[in-house]
Amino acid sequence: MILRIARKEFVELARDGRFRASAAVVGILMVGALAVGWEGWRDISREHARAEADSRERFEGQGEKNPHSAAHYGLHLFKPKSSLAFVDPGVDPYTGISVFVEAHRRNEVDYRPARDATALERFGDLTAASVLQVLLPLVIIFLAFPAVAGEREQGTLRQVLSLGVRPRDLLLGKAIGLAAAMGIIVLPAVVVGAVLLSRVGDDAGAAWPRAAALAAGYLLYLAMFLAVSLFASIRAKSGRSALVALLGFWILNTMVAPRLATDLARRLHPTPSALEFASAIDREIREGVDGHDPQDERIRRLEEELLDRYDVDFVEDLPINFQGVALQAGEDHGNAVFDRHYDALWSTFDHQDAARSALGFLAPTLAIRSLSMGLAGTDAVEHRAFAEAAEAHRRELVRLLNDDLATNGADLGFMYQAGPELWGQMPRFRFEPPPVAGTIARLGPSWLALGLWTIVAAAAAAWSARTLRID
Amino acid sequence: MLEATDLTKSYNGHLALDRLNLAVRPGEIFCLLGANGAGKTTTINLFLNFIRPSSGSARIKGLDVVEHPLETKRHLAYIPEQVNLYRNLTGLENLAYFAALAGHREHATAGFLELLAQAGLTEEAARKRVSTYSKGMRQKVGIAIAAAKQAEVLLLDEPTSGLDPKASNEFSELLVRLRDRGVAVLMATHDLFRAKETGTRVGIMKRGRMVALLDTAEVGHADLERIYLDHMHD
Repeated sequence: MILRIARKEFVELARDGRFRASAAVVGILMVGALAVGWEGWRDISREHARAEADSRERFEGQGEKNPHSAAHYGLHLFKPKSSLAFVDPGVDPYTGISVFVEAHRRNEVDYRPARDATALERFGDLTAASVLQVLLPLVIIFLAFPAVAGEREQGTLRQVLSLGVRPRDLLLGKAIGLAAAMGIIVLPAVVVGAVLLSRVGDDAGAAWPRAAALAAGYLLYLAMFLAVSLFASIRAKSGRSALVALLGFWILNTMVAPRLATDLARRLHPTPSALEFASAIDREIREGVDGHDPQDERIRRLEEELLDRYDVDFVEDLPINFQGVALQAGEDHGNAVFDRHYDALWSTFDHQDAARSALGFLAPTLAIRSLSMGLAGTDAVEHRAFAEAAEAHRRELVRLLNDDLATNGADLGFMYQAGPELWGQMPRFRFEPPPVAGTIARLGPSWLALGLWTIVAAAAAAWSARTLRID
Repeated sequence: MLEATDLTKSYNGHLALDRLNLAVRPGEIFCLLGANGAGKTTTINLFLNFIRPSSGSARIKGLDVVEHPLETKRHLAYIPEQVNLYRNLTGLENLAYFAALAGHREHATAGFLELLAQAGLTEEAARKRVSTYSKGMRQKVGIAIAAAKQAEVLLLDEPTSGLDPKASNEFSELLVRLRDRGVAVLMATHDLFRAKETGTRVGIMKRGRMVALLDTAEVGHADLERIYLDHMHD
């Protein structure tokens, strides 16, 4: 019986010209968004790989020089595009793609594509994620709002219920029929997405579980919209008022909530301006953490300590190169300052994320946004993982070069020179994105918000079907 | 088979139906006559449990329709004044859908076409989408839907409105055949002539109350009309 209702619902939709036209448009948009996203993803991935290789080549080819100069010469590291970034680019356009690593300084990840974009592009970003988050719910609303209200107005509901059909069965059948119609719309995009994903290369193995979790998340999200639409269709006075209420729900969720949540999170947990942040770090490096331990003083203490340890009177008599040790000591001091400031900054971002996650319980679109970005590997947390890995790489690189200066430089001081052999020995940067299990787990609040919304909406629809009005 | 006991429905103090008592036995066609707003449709809606009685009870095969909303509907078929169908489906598909929802094993297409033909719809028309149908054609599909259900109780709310005289006559013949098979029929109608021709009993309703109950065998056409009009005048 339920399947018979589903079949009729599907046949009716399939014969509706409006449905066919919108299905074609939405289907093409989805496949197009994926194809465009994929194109960009592939080009950028290639460019990054080439640019990083170039940078490394230049670093290794810098000739004979003091290792510390080599550390100043530095090199560019690029954030590898996560496999699913072509589905959801997340915060990637705003957080930068490349970081310059060098001695003494922790640079920001820079080169933000959004900076080069025109104001128009900010609204016109067509990504698979935006189609899934914004457009498909709208399609669901338009398909589902007349499900019950329309039959009530047509008068067919009287006849169906006079047959002794259980209202819950009717609702379930309609839900299945509508879901099947949506499936037809989405199917081409799913096939295209799977084919593209199988071609992302080395990372495909890690990408599949993420893709599966992503699909599950979107399924929940869209099922929630279907349940809410059916609920409105049952309860509203007329089909028209069901549509108005649903469009209001859609606008609040997809248009208002994301902007509001970002503003609110910023207000609750303000971050320092880039200038404040940088100058605070500079000051602490120069003057010590408390402002009473200037750099010169620290170097003098280090000198005394080393002279004591090696029991010599002059720096020149040390068996190691004092500059190398002093530079590394300065580096260690700077790193501690960086750690403190960056930890504070990241923790502010974490609080902002937590605030947005909490708001996801009010507006499920916020929950799916967090979930989608997280699983696609393009959210702030994954960005931080890259920034931390790049910083760890910087520290190791600088330490190895300073150590070489300290141990091999002896009394030559800055006259000491190393060659390409040493540059070639420097470790290569390889960023491993966090494992998928951890990502799924850390997105717990978003899963919970989506799950609750779906369950509550479905229960509300089923419950209100018990007292279905005839007219 | 069909039984109303002190059945009452009031909306905000206005009595739409006032202590109706009636019983329709198998093989009987009970016609409800009366002006618009006399309570005929309210009575049928109460038997369908589409509205809840304020007091009293409606029973089908001894079961209270409020307590057994699904089971009582299994025994009845209903034709509204305006049969509404799914516009994007053909008449045949509409019939097949409603028959399936009624819980009957799927008839073969031939069986459905036969039912539609009996109701007066040609095969050619049956295979067209309902959006092209006239009111009379939709009504015929409604009759076929009711026939397909093979119910023991028929609830008819001015079922022949919009039918041409020939189709109306065919419908009356169908009703008589069903009556002879032991179906209990409750029909609201404006058509005194049909009520006298096919009905076994006639109830005249006015402002929610049944003001007269007649055996059609015992009154002539003219008598029925006179009695009806007498009641309509105050």
